[in-house]
Amino acid sequence: MTHFLPFLVTAMNRHSTFMCRNRFSLSPVALVLTVCGSLLFVSGCGKTPAASFRPNMVEAAKQRLKPEQEEQVATILEAMFGTPDNPIAMPETGLDIGKLRLAAGPVHSDIVGRKNGLFREHCSHCHGVTGDGMGPTAAFLNPYPRDYRPGWFKFKSTERADKPTHGDLVTILNNGIYGTSMPSFELLGEAKVDALVEYVKYLSMRGEAELNMMRYFFELDDEDEGKLPETRDFLVEEILLPVAERWQEAEDAVIEVPEMPEVDLAESIAMGKELFYGNKANCVKCHGVTALGDGQANDYDDWNKVVKQWSDEVQSSHEVSTKEMSREEKAEHREYLARADKALAGDALEPRTIQPRNLRQAIYRGGRRPIDFYYRIHAGINGAPMPAAAGTLTPDEIWHVVNYIRSLPYEFDGELGADRSMVARDRL
Amino acid sequence: MRNRLAGIFWSILFLAVPVLGVGVFAIAPSIDVWLPKDVSSHGKEIDSLFYFILALTGIVFIVTEMLLFWFIWKYDAAARGDEKATYIHGSHTLEVIWTIIPAVTMLFLAIYQMNAWADMKMRRPVMKPTVEVVARQFEWRLRYPGPDGDLGTPDDLFLVNDLHVPVDEDILIQLKSMDVLHSFFLPNLRMKQDAVPGMKIPVWFKATETGQYDLVCAELCGWGHYKMKGRITIESREDYDAWLEAKYREQEATQPEPMDEIL
Amino acid sequence: MSTVTHSSPGESTTVAPASAAKPRPVSEFLSTYVFSKDHKVIGLQFLFSTLVWFLIGGLLALAVRWQVAWPWSDVPVLGKLFAQEGGQMSPEFYTMLFTMHATVMIFLVIIPILAGAFGNFLIPLMIGADDMAFPTLNMLSYWFMWPAFIAFGASFFVEGGAASSGWTSYPPLTTNPAASPGSGMGQTLWLIGLTFVGVSSMLGSVNYMTTIILMRAPGMTMFRLPMTIWAMFITALLQAFALPVLTAAGFMQLFDRSIGTGFFSPEGSMINNELTGAGGGQPLLWQHLFWFYSHPAVYIMILPAMGMVSDIMTCFARKPLFGYRPMVYSIAGIAGLGFIVWGHHMFISGMNPALGMTFMVSTMMIALPSAVKTFNWLGTLWGGRIQFTTAMLFSVSFVSMFIIGGLSGIFMAATPVDIFIHDTYFIVAHFHYVLFAGTAMGVWGAIYFWFPKMFGRTMNEFWGKVHFFLTFIFLNGTFFTMHILGAVGFPRRLADAYHYETFHHLQPMNAFMTYCAIGMVACQAIFAANFFWSMFYGPKAGRNPWNSNGLEWTAPSPPGHGNFDVQPIVYRGPYEYSVPGCEKDHLMQTDPPVEGMVVAAH
Repeated sequence: MTHFLPFLVTAMNRHSTFMCRNRFSLSPVALVLTVCGSLLFVSGCGKTPAASFRPNMVEAAKQRLKPEQEEQVATILEAMFGTPDNPIAMPETGLDIGKLRLAAGPVHSDIVGRKNGLFREHCSHCHGVTGDGMGPTAAFLNPYPRDYRPGWFKFKSTERADKPTHGDLVTILNNGIYGTSMPSFELLGEAKVDALVEYVKYLSMRGEAELNMMRYFFELDDEDEGKLPETRDFLVEEILLPVAERWQEAEDAVIEVPEMPEVDLAESIAMGKELFYGNKANCVKCHGVTALGDGQANDYDDWNKVVKQWSDEVQSSHEVSTKEMSREEKAEHREYLARADKALAGDALEPRTIQPRNLRQAIYRGGRRPIDFYYRIHAGINGAPMPAAAGTLTPDEIWHVVNYIRSLPYEFDGELGADRSMVARDRL
Repeated sequence: MRNRLAGIFWSILFLAVPVLGVGVFAIAPSIDVWLPKDVSSHGKEIDSLFYFILALTGIVFIVTEMLLFWFIWKYDAAARGDEKATYIHGSHTLEVIWTIIPAVTMLFLAIYQMNAWADMKMRRPVMKPTVEVVARQFEWRLRYPGPDGDLGTPDDLFLVNDLHVPVDEDILIQLKSMDVLHSFFLPNLRMKQDAVPGMKIPVWFKATETGQYDLVCAELCGWGHYKMKGRITIESREDYDAWLEAKYREQEATQPEPMDEIL
Repeated sequence: MSTVTHSSPGESTTVAPASAAKPRPVSEFLSTYVFSKDHKVIGLQFLFSTLVWFLIGGLLALAVRWQVAWPWSDVPVLGKLFAQEGGQMSPEFYTMLFTMHATVMIFLVIIPILAGAFGNFLIPLMIGADDMAFPTLNMLSYWFMWPAFIAFGASFFVEGGAASSGWTSYPPLTTNPAASPGSGMGQTLWLIGLTFVGVSSMLGSVNYMTTIILMRAPGMTMFRLPMTIWAMFITALLQAFALPVLTAAGFMQLFDRSIGTGFFSPEGSMINNELTGAGGGQPLLWQHLFWFYSHPAVYIMILPAMGMVSDIMTCFARKPLFGYRPMVYSIAGIAGLGFIVWGHHMFISGMNPALGMTFMVSTMMIALPSAVKTFNWLGTLWGGRIQFTTAMLFSVSFVSMFIIGGLSGIFMAATPVDIFIHDTYFIVAHFHYVLFAGTAMGVWGAIYFWFPKMFGRTMNEFWGKVHFFLTFIFLNGTFFTMHILGAVGFPRRLADAYHYETFHHLQPMNAFMTYCAIGMVACQAIFAANFFWSMFYGPKAGRNPWNSNGLEWTAPSPPGHGNFDVQPIVYRGPYEYSVPGCEKDHLMQTDPPVEGMVVAAH
């Protein structure tokens, strides 16, 4: 373009001496044109840098990692997992590299016309390229998008502490999460959803491996000189496998669900109601006597709790007197606080409390099938204050509660003094 | 003479407007950049009205643009020698003619389409809603009334984005919005209706062919407006009933489904 | 600029540049060039400010086109400025871009360049007045634009970014800050900016009406006014009657957002997964109020251009305007009907369909005055002696393009067809043909035409024609294609439409349009270079370089303070070209009548 423009100008210049009635030098015009053209060229064709994974700065600052330690973690992670544009699936992870390639990278069509870069097309503006739940749109959403890095997932068919199965994540992508900003991706088709789930697992494993490494510095011996051993054995055995194995185990750890007891539905609902208000299940504590979710409301979910607790800690460190400290200690303290503040401002979202579910809206994030309710009551909700009832309630009792909860949106509104506008009949 | 060339050049540039303009519209259907396939009973009326207006405006377009071309070609100063421009301030007769003719045409057009509009938006079929569509940021939440035919009862079927309707039957959709404005747009059924929070708006149509088509959100509803994609599946009564039943069974599942059914 | 106020009467060609005069105190500089009350300086201030915003609006449009053509791919220039993850544009940034593109173009470019720049510069000159009726108000009308410039400009940098709910700003998306990132501070700034634009327009409108009614030169009857002045007059009327509604609606929205009223929020909605507080309002109320202003505003955005095009066209066809009175009546008709057609923006909004039918009839009727105007322009060209100056080419293209923009409007006026093409690219094509291919082309014509009067020098004709040719080609490449995209139902405002099967195959066509759009913006460099170069080095123009008839051409170029060296006395209408029996082919409004000459009586 820069070569072309002056040529064009000169050509026009020459031409114009014949055609133009007002003959005058065109050099100023040519000058301005060339300058404008070059500016456009220079600014227009500069490439933006390739996408990269962001380090977990909150954890790094919290663990007081040194810059070279951060660097080491990043290097190892890149060796194990690759980059957003070029993922690596080590055999230990059990991940399918073909699926990952479909989901990773910038949005583009490959030679056979298949769309690649699915994650960046559909997911990254909320969940972030790193899967840290900090995409550009994240801060404006309620609830915040999921951060995959700690490896906690809420809605699944496995026990509370377990990973979800592949099928659980597929269900989430297919149905979306009603009541959040997560839409349904069913129409993408099975293959794409499958690839995206694989990629989510990949990001989660990567994030958890990163956390493991950052926390491992704490356990190092003096002879390690503050560096993680870079042997394959160590990295696979200590860092990767503890994460990957749990993902693989989850597939066979689905909760056994006994059949629903064969009692009359109305009877079951009545029993469920008793449990709901009783001390044994004590659902009212959070979901409220009206079941509008207006019980205890000052809790945080685990993702927010991590940030909240640490930011409180940092806040109180700010108030610690530095008088007693030596000069070096003082400098270190200041540096820690500066890093912590930076991490909290730039790499974490403002913590928000979690609201217990309003059970009268017929909006259920984790699915509306009876079985979904069963899983949630049985195992609780990982990462949320909802506890597992498995120890306290018998399977039959869980089913009664399920039936009662499913009937709540249709219960006569006046009975509990519920706000009419919150009831399903009017509002869905 | 050089000046005359300039006149010719510019006239031809303006001649290119009707030539290429008509050309683009002529080529468009053959490169498939044209009205999408219509599978609704009322769509033919919209399409024929579209073609009728296209023909009408096309004629006016060609005539006026050709006149424009002809005038600047012919009345170029360079082509007129020493002749002065015509000294005329207008023509009462012409003004009357070119006021009356468009007036009659437009009035005709206005009255001609009233019936079609009334069919599509005013004469709603007397029936219970086939399905309730609730738009929210950024998906279409669907609620089928279930076997009892009434919405708001425990046998309702809840779905998302995947709208199914039977073919050759009147469909009445109750359209609501949960948060902001959305627009329920079925390009292949020639149907569009804004969803307004706080209002229940009826939308009706009759599909004439089976198949799967896009459901588009056509009113800006926030940052994720582009991803508010749904799909309408038009199928025979039997398939529809079977689908409804299967979906209902799924919703009432008390046991996990085998893996191959999810995937 | 420096030459504007310092030409002494009678010296049209030799103008002392400001630098040659003895050094003057800062206060004098400020009162002459910055806080000037001279209508010409204010007009030029408007012109320069709006041209800068025109460039910004154009770049925003390019960014929008980039995303539409190549969604989620690295954005040049902006990708670096607003680095998003992976270099791609985030969807809310895209919604912000098209919102601000429209806002900037409508409120900071088209309206102020027509009414502010040309209205100010031309009205006193064309009616033979020495200045506006209220010079201080006039100055304020310019300076009230600055809070708007600042508010719109600053909104890009607040948390959540600029307003992102479209220039129509439909609630509840706008009234609830949780609904969209741009509905936070950005939307508040947008409403504040809008209010200031409104105040500025209102001050201008009062001034124009008073000036046109009271300050015409002796002999300048209403029906001897040039079309430009008629158009400006009726535009001012439109603004005076429609603007209060928008201002009130803007405040209602501001109250909904800030003090918890619920004019536009319905009962019990759930936005961003939380129940909204206030209720009892109606989102459609905003649409009614907004379009009650904004439909007349569409005419505010084209009538002045129509007027200026009529003046340019008669001058270069060397022929009286065909049907002067019908032209005036049709402008008035457009303005009158313009107040009762707003509902055609709301055919499928959920408004009562019976009401839609009523609006459909009135909308069909508004095609009439537009048709009359087009035919009269054609009549003006017929039998003329056409001179292909740059200004004339832009004017002819205005007519040619306005035909397209006008005819495509009929599709939307037809309610059943509107069901299908509403909110598709057909609409985008329609209003860009009216506002860009129409108004903007008219404005360029006017700049080339009145440039000698503004700066005492003519713009370069050859480069002007190159500019015209490229703009004309590229604009049609960009906007004509949109019609057939609209026929597919391609919706506007989608950050990525290609995941819909129906629209999947339209990407190459969009890429073509984006190439044309880039070309269109790039070739404005020619205009900018020509404009600034000619301002200082262009050939000197006399008082009447185009041999035109209007009063402004009897004043020196550029006119000094007070405009006219001799009080103009008007003997006839402005379009007496090629009068039989007259030696010259033009007879200026101030030329005393010669016995025996036949001149139409008005």
